[in-house]
Amino acid sequence: MKLFTKYNRVNLVATIIIFLLSSTAFYFAIRYILINQVDDDLRIEQREIETYVKEHNTLPESISVKDQNISYVLSDTYLQKRKFETIAGNKIDAKEKDLYRILQFGVIANGKIYLATVAKSLEGADDLTHSILLISSATILLILAASFLINSVLLKRLWKPFYNSLDVLKNFRVDKSQSLNFPTTQIDEFAFMDQIIQKTTNQAQQEYSLLKEFTENASHEMQTPLAIIRSKLDLLLQDENLSEGQSKTMQSAYSAIEKLSRLNQSLLLLAKIENNQFAETSLINLKQKLEEKLDAFHELWQNQSISVSSSLVDSNVNLNSELTDILLNNLLSNATRHNFSNGYINVVLKEKMIEISNSSREKELNSQQMFLRFFSQDKKSRYNGLGLSIIKQICDVSGFSIRYLFTGNEHRFILSW
Amino acid sequence: MKVLVIEDEKELSDSICAYLANEQFVCERTLDFDSSMEKILLYDYACIILDVNLPGGSGLDILKELKNLNKTDGVLIISARNSLDDKVFALKTGADDYLTKPFHLAELAARVNAIIRRKSFEGKNEISCNELRLDLAEKNVKVHDGPVDLTRKEYELLLYFISNKNRVISKNAIAEHLWGDSMDVADNYDFIYTHIKNLRKKLIQAGAADYIKSIYGMGYKFNV
Repeated sequence: MKLFTKYNRVNLVATIIIFLLSSTAFYFAIRYILINQVDDDLRIEQREIETYVKEHNTLPESISVKDQNISYVLSDTYLQKRKFETIAGNKIDAKEKDLYRILQFGVIANGKIYLATVAKSLEGADDLTHSILLISSATILLILAASFLINSVLLKRLWKPFYNSLDVLKNFRVDKSQSLNFPTTQIDEFAFMDQIIQKTTNQAQQEYSLLKEFTENASHEMQTPLAIIRSKLDLLLQDENLSEGQSKTMQSAYSAIEKLSRLNQSLLLLAKIENNQFAETSLINLKQKLEEKLDAFHELWQNQSISVSSSLVDSNVNLNSELTDILLNNLLSNATRHNFSNGYINVVLKEKMIEISNSSREKELNSQQMFLRFFSQDKKSRYNGLGLSIIKQICDVSGFSIRYLFTGNEHRFILSW
Repeated sequence: MKVLVIEDEKELSDSICAYLANEQFVCERTLDFDSSMEKILLYDYACIILDVNLPGGSGLDILKELKNLNKTDGVLIISARNSLDDKVFALKTGADDYLTKPFHLAELAARVNAIIRRKSFEGKNEISCNELRLDLAEKNVKVHDGPVDLTRKEYELLLYFISNKNRVISKNAIAEHLWGDSMDVADNYDFIYTHIKNLRKKLIQAGAADYIKSIYGMGYKFNV
């Protein structure tokens, strides 16, 4: 929900509730005042009647004017206290449906007891109440409409710098070195916000590049010691006096060094891709490339009794040649490693798609995490878990989208562009 | 044959010299730019193993100087930088080969041997080793003048062994040599075992001696 909508909704509901409450209160207040007014009139009428009876000892003639009726009824008891009442319709004329305010009191004339009733129509008062309500509600509606309009226009204008900042922020990439450029704003709060965002993002970029540099330098620095260890192991291997136990120990050291140097090379490769060191592209004949790879892997597959079927059509794409090699090697290596003997590999190349599927006894990969660095489904795996992140990274820089599907015992990777 | 190792990391330089120092090679070493320049001006080498990052200058400048002097020394660049651009640049400048650190000494020896062969046996592209004769141009092998039918990988394997005669080569080094480090299936040792078994069988059947010995399952040795 937009901020305006939310604000307007709250604003509208609150105004309507206040308006309803206040108009109800207003209505009752006006009514109370008007009825008091009528009651005063009725009291004056009573005094006039009583004065007349005192002077003449007879009842005055009952004169009915437009909105006032006076009637006398013989009564057995004398009504001590006067009584006010609001009734619908007229006691005299039953057809009248208007509201009447009546005053009843006892009168003694000629020795007889009468119940005098003075009724006064409330029509005038009602009319007044209605018009007052109408005017006030119209005013409030008008105020509501005006504030709604002003709010939406004004708020939109007030929040504009905020949306501008958001737009700028949307283009922020931690791996790009250029810092964000916010348009200047007169509003202190937004200027403050921009300033803080700028500071934070600059810091993030700086730390990211430091970290990247660190990884890169660390990997570079590791190359030489690795080379030394490897060469020393190669020399130690020449020693003819090595016992079988020592040889086994050496083999372990060899494997560990092998793993470490491959890991290091993968990290360096990732750093290089991130640094855009493979920006140079040329038109690559993917069919030819894939045929070369299939040829290179052929012996390996034959050895493991993996059957391979391929269906390749011509496809030329602008790519970096080195990265394409690495990508295809990694995809095919994966399909080989996670296979079993007498399994199969299918390679399909269409004009805008490569699909590589392989049989496997391994379970479905976690598609949320499979491309993360050092992710490995099986913790004891002898692979470093960088292969898939390299594949993903190459796809990203080459403008390929990659999908993974798992059906039955088949893993499928689909690259499309 | 004299080989010059220009490498500032003394430990690595020690290993290289220790591995190469057999009846064939005499190793000389320099650790920095200036003494290397001096050496190449004064002497000729069959092969120069050249590190790119040196104290006092770049190995590539030494390479350029060699070319300016019209020297025919073979040059093998060893670098910690594994980048195609660097490789292409070094080869264009006149290096004969490029090897990325870390490498196996067996691989280095094979490359040095190949460079020296290319430089010194012009026209006669053949290696013999007792009854074995390898034709490098045709990539075929003869035993007692009879042809042996080897697959491409078996031929490469044999050449690798002959370049590292009487040396133990680890399975890892063999895997990397056959597959390169780009194909990430190099730890598939069963496959190497199959190749070696087949190679051995074919050579013995052709009448050659049994040269290839397994060393405790960790590597192989070509005994001559």
